[in-house]
Amino acid sequence: MNINTVRKEFPIFQKRGAKPLAYFDNAATTQKPKAIIDAMDKFYRVGNAPVHRGVYALAESATEKYENVRDHVKDFIRAKHREEIIFTSGATASINMVVSGLAETFLREGDHILLSDMEHHAMIVPWQAAAKRKKLKLNFIPLTKDGRIDLDVFKKMLAKHKPKFVGVTHVSNVLGTVNPVREMAAAAHKIGAIVLVDAAQSAAHLPIDVRKPDCDFLAFSGHKMYGPNGIGILYGKRKLLEKLPPLMYGGHMIEQVTREKTTYAPLPDKFEGGTPPVAEVIGLGVAISFLQSVGLKTIQKHEEKLTAYALRALKDVPNISLLGPTTAKGRAPVFSFTIAGIHPHDIATLLDREGIAVRAGHHCAQILHENFSLDASVRVSLCFYNTVSEIDRLVSALSAIVKKFQ
Amino acid sequence: MNENDIYREEILEHYRHPQNFGTMKNPTYEAEAIHPLCGDSILLQLKVNPKGVVTQVRFSGSGCAISTASSSIFTEWMLGKTVKKLKTVGTGQIQKLMRAQIGPARLPCMLLSHVVLQKILSADASFVSRD
Ligand SMILES: Cc1ncc(COP(=O)(O)O)c(C=O)c1O
Repeated sequence: MNINTVRKEFPIFQKRGAKPLAYFDNAATTQKPKAIIDAMDKFYRVGNAPVHRGVYALAESATEKYENVRDHVKDFIRAKHREEIIFTSGATASINMVVSGLAETFLREGDHILLSDMEHHAMIVPWQAAAKRKKLKLNFIPLTKDGRIDLDVFKKMLAKHKPKFVGVTHVSNVLGTVNPVREMAAAAHKIGAIVLVDAAQSAAHLPIDVRKPDCDFLAFSGHKMYGPNGIGILYGKRKLLEKLPPLMYGGHMIEQVTREKTTYAPLPDKFEGGTPPVAEVIGLGVAISFLQSVGLKTIQKHEEKLTAYALRALKDVPNISLLGPTTAKGRAPVFSFTIAGIHPHDIATLLDREGIAVRAGHHCAQILHENFSLDASVRVSLCFYNTVSEIDRLVSALSAIVKKFQ
Repeated sequence: MNENDIYREEILEHYRHPQNFGTMKNPTYEAEAIHPLCGDSILLQLKVNPKGVVTQVRFSGSGCAISTASSSIFTEWMLGKTVKKLKTVGTGQIQKLMRAQIGPARLPCMLLSHVVLQKILSADASFVSRD
């Protein structure tokens, strides 16, 4: 599929008018191409059945489709084994599974956990709750002024705290920073730490390979990569997943249940208790095909151009302060900023009047904002269907808002 | 521009130069409210004379144009009113004072000064005896 015509695939952009939708909230959730909407619709119309249990043809066919997506995901992130791919409800669920499993089995009172100051609340809050239960110590990697992780600082913290676990986001959902996860994972493994990479913000933008960086766990959500809501992935190394206790107990995740006890099913079923969202899994499979048909390398190059353009263009807005890296290299197309004297929520409301959808607030990253002494910022997050002329529209709308408030 | 626009010049002027902005010493009553959406906070202080009339009012904190202007306009209105009167005031009064259409996402910004006033009125039982 040609990246320059990819926008046509998205029904939501077909509505024309004086102020067509400029959708800049892709870090929160992306829009959905027709192929995914159609595939899910078709499943409910002609293919709906429960997976795994039925012996009739319809159920067998649903099961096959469902399990095929697992292979597809495995290839997409270059995992070794299909049972290393667990379907979850999203990145938040995936991270919670890892955190509570590790806290229950691997970790002891006083153990250190190392996270970064740019983590999403989905990484921080589960660990804070686990730390309270298990008396763990949380440490946070500070950020440089331009919103990056300094590898030397990180290595010093590894040496000092000897953490049992390192959790880091691949791409910041606020700053657009692409973190050096490869080097970080290698250094963390040298001291025996378990590494979880939060790929929620990278899965739609960069090729992912769980062997480079060498991740023990990796988490992402379908809805941020053009797929449906309510479906996500937890990747875990087989050896670790086998030792990790399940999070959801119930149907399907068992081997045998007696009055006395239950034995659990092998991977991946152990982690998929309950009836899974089959249409969503099928939708995720189509989303991955969609990304692959455009090509993640192509997407990356295209978005790097958009990033460079946006970085230049946003400079023209009076009184703007941009957070995060100032160069396009090693940066995802996410731009958070403040404008002196104008509240982020006022900016977002006024942009909305121009058909421009942006996010205002702390974007589930309050610790990050505290780093920059801010309560909130405006976030513009792009993806491949955004255009240079949309960025121009944004810049002139922002300039008009500044003028209005003067 | 629409005269019911929440961002009309009159409102922006209240944002640039809010009335009754600041803090006072020895207020009779004060309360703080935090905006659930963005974490902005507002402190409202009232000085009330023995007859139960508001003689001085101040608000402070950080906020967006909508919450700041609405606090500015609402505190102007409060001045000289009796506490008894304040107790009867619903959110409709703010809407009337602001003369603006506003969507559900930003309505809480506009009503923040009302929320903090309710805190004062409900938290302090002595208001009842003073009436
Ligand atoms: C970096 C990061 N991690 C985790 C999440 C959580 O994803 P979800 O809400 O889909 O579970 C998000 C999304 O907001 C994110 O940006």
